[in-house]
Amino acid sequence: MGATLRALRALVLLLGFYLLSLVLLAALVGVDIAAFRWGHGPAVAKLGFVTVLLAIPVVRGMFMLRTPKGEAGPGIDVTEADEPRLWALVREVAAAAGTRAPDRIRLTGEVNAAVSEDPRLLGLLPGPRRLYLGVPLLTGLTQAQLRAVLAHEYGHFTGGDTRLSALVVRGRVQLGRVIEQFHERADGKVAAERAKQERASAKRVAKGRKAKKVDTSGSGVSYRMMAAIYGQYAKLYLRASLSTARGQEFAADQVAARIAGRDAMAATLREIPVLSASHDFYLDSYATLGLGARMLPPRGEFFGGFGKLLAARAQELEDLRGQLPQEPASPYDSHPPIAERVRRIEALPADGRADEATGPALAVLTDPARTLAALEDAVLTDEVLGYGRAAGWPELLDASMASGLSSAQTPLHRALAARTGQPATLAALLEVVDAGGLWQLAEQLPLSAEAKAARGRVFREFARPVLHRSLRTMVLAEFSARSLLTWDFSWSGPAAVRLPGEAPATGADGRNPEEVLEAALDAALADHPDTAALRALLPPAPQPA
Amino acid sequence: MTVLLWILAVLALPLVIAAIWFTGVFVKELFSPSPPAPDATALAAERLGLLPAERQDTEHAAPPPAAWSAALAAARDGDWEPAAELLRANGRDWERRSSIAAELGTLAAEEDGWLLAWESARPGDPDAAVVRAQGTVYLAWELRGAKQAQYTSREQFEGFHRMLTAAREEIARAAELNPEDPTPYIVEIWVGLGLGYPGAEMDKLWAEITSRAPYHFGAHYAALQYWCAKWRGSKQQAFAFAERAAGRAPLGSLLTALPLIAHFEHDETTDVAADSTPEMLALVDAGLADAAACAASDPDRPGLAQLRHLLAYYLHLQDRHEAALEQFRLVDGHVDALPWSYRGDGAASYYCRVRNETVGAVQAAADAA
Repeated sequence: MGATLRALRALVLLLGFYLLSLVLLAALVGVDIAAFRWGHGPAVAKLGFVTVLLAIPVVRGMFMLRTPKGEAGPGIDVTEADEPRLWALVREVAAAAGTRAPDRIRLTGEVNAAVSEDPRLLGLLPGPRRLYLGVPLLTGLTQAQLRAVLAHEYGHFTGGDTRLSALVVRGRVQLGRVIEQFHERADGKVAAERAKQERASAKRVAKGRKAKKVDTSGSGVSYRMMAAIYGQYAKLYLRASLSTARGQEFAADQVAARIAGRDAMAATLREIPVLSASHDFYLDSYATLGLGARMLPPRGEFFGGFGKLLAARAQELEDLRGQLPQEPASPYDSHPPIAERVRRIEALPADGRADEATGPALAVLTDPARTLAALEDAVLTDEVLGYGRAAGWPELLDASMASGLSSAQTPLHRALAARTGQPATLAALLEVVDAGGLWQLAEQLPLSAEAKAARGRVFREFARPVLHRSLRTMVLAEFSARSLLTWDFSWSGPAAVRLPGEAPATGADGRNPEEVLEAALDAALADHPDTAALRALLPPAPQPA
Repeated sequence: MTVLLWILAVLALPLVIAAIWFTGVFVKELFSPSPPAPDATALAAERLGLLPAERQDTEHAAPPPAAWSAALAAARDGDWEPAAELLRANGRDWERRSSIAAELGTLAAEEDGWLLAWESARPGDPDAAVVRAQGTVYLAWELRGAKQAQYTSREQFEGFHRMLTAAREEIARAAELNPEDPTPYIVEIWVGLGLGYPGAEMDKLWAEITSRAPYHFGAHYAALQYWCAKWRGSKQQAFAFAERAAGRAPLGSLLTALPLIAHFEHDETTDVAADSTPEMLALVDAGLADAAACAASDPDRPGLAQLRHLLAYYLHLQDRHEAALEQFRLVDGHVDALPWSYRGDGAASYYCRVRNETVGAVQAAADAA
């Protein structure tokens, strides 16, 4: 099928989507009219309400006729004068792919590379091209792999398929969104989603995204039915467009393998999912570590630390590269599964170019350190940029742990506060335990259904691990408040607490503070609790002057 | 042209889906479960003096001796001395010692204040030690619950493994305090089941047990569970173990129950053909002879009621209803035994359903004659 014919088919299919939406709206209106004519009482009002709820996503879907734009996020635009070597590389690969070089390059904070073109007249005329290039991607790839990434993106233009397939993409994105909307509502995911967003909001601002507003109306079956109707249409649509889209991906892969070398392309395909997962982990566990304490890593390290993480966990990453995703990211994704793409590239004959350009891609930048620092200003929100800067990563860890512990609210804190009516403190807890109130207090903990149904010893054994974790946190918070705790920072593993009296690094001389603490916790949470050992560990409370 | 067809199909789709959905809702609303019809066989069973489901004891397979019940009641009230006396007086009757320890261990898994008092009053008492070990193992299984692994939460498994690990030390201590007693090793089989002891370690444990009590019913029951496919063995291993044990044991040792249990544990058929083969008929006949011999020499022996429950069940499935009813009458009132106990809360009603069917079949045969 020719390119023009494909575009025409896409147009017809897209119109079908509108027709479907109009028919559904008409059906809903018809139901309302019938109800008002023959029905009476509150049932009519309820029916009317339900039809309005159902109509909302349909109408929304009809007006969402824009391909997602600007989702590459904020970044820094670099000119040829800023980054001559990057521009030269970009132009060279474009020439090799036989297409026009982009008009602008923007460096972003994500593990992503994309070339976008804003076509005019429904894709009949070319428009300006932009290259979005994630700095974390440069951090993790070699120069040959960067060429492969760029060549793949250009590969989409060589068949002219980006302009002509814009409509297809548009329709696919739209259908996917409407179906997702219905499913979200049907699953009653809204409340859970909101809670999750609130928790993640601190991190979201750091990543420069706006918090999404969540609609909380929703009720089961009718939503699912609507989703099913759209789902059927989507299947039809996908059948018509997906094989072409996936074929285009494979073709772009071949272009990249020709330009950057077979091995570099295969390595890139393996590398990107690994980098993407590692970067998510890095953002959650390292870069945004201090946000709760209103602290940022040293300047340039918010994105710069990623390279250190990759270096420290090289072995772990090597294992991850062996496990390729077998499934596409979503049924509406135009990309075939990575495993299939790797298989096709590795089936090509060897071209003897395995050792080309193995230097880090970040080195093509004129001054990587300056770029990493400038990227923070562009990507982070003003509020976050106003936070304090830690002197180094270990200091950031200490500050964030101290802040986390001082504001920690364990289930035990809540149960204790509910019982005493006072803010929960360790001293108050030990008093309750000494007065024989531990197991009564335990009944107020949030516990699993099995634990709640249990009695006697079985109940106590269910509650004990929960109590243990909470009490340990409370004791560590107490140590931390007296500046008795330090933390061992590591790029290759989780942070480890160093208790008071524990020698740095090796602590196996004589009594082990960790064991002493555990024994004291166990004694305080026994069937017949004894807090003496725990009290002995705690320094005397500072006397009010 | 095909494009037009697609659009037509799209227009038809919502109608079809809506119609199906409304039909589904309608049908669902229309149907409500009809109340069960009054059962003639239940009345007939009652006339024979058999108990209804709500009066069946689901904690025991047979009525416990009065002295045991008294000791348990006293322990429940905090007085451990009758329990201590019960175990001391029982001496070297290992079958009964294991059963008493199981009863007391069940209680200790609920609350153990009385046991703590016993332990502090008589430190180093082997009887208290064996109850302690048994209690911790039962506590572990309570934490796990009785569901299959996929329906058991991580929290449950963690508690289960923590308690089983703790129990190993207590078992070793109990064994040390009374070296002749097989009970601690039998308790350890249930630890091995949960922690997944390798077969070689199980064999070692088994040697410790059989050198002390070669035909112990509870030990064989536990070991057979270990060798079952659902735990650490296979159908083949379970059958081999059961047949070897039953073949070697003297008449009246009750181990003829083992091949029946192995068959029951691995039976995945839904009809009764596999339960009425000549081999199964022979196994049930051997069980009947075994039970009769045991009843003649020691009618209260632990395990006899379990064998009778299995015999009643298989006699029923083999359409030997007269003989089945005879077994049902001997055990009626206590139903904590295979095959009923796997039904959990439904054990008593399952038992009564099968028993009532037997009663009905016997009556029908009498009416026809």
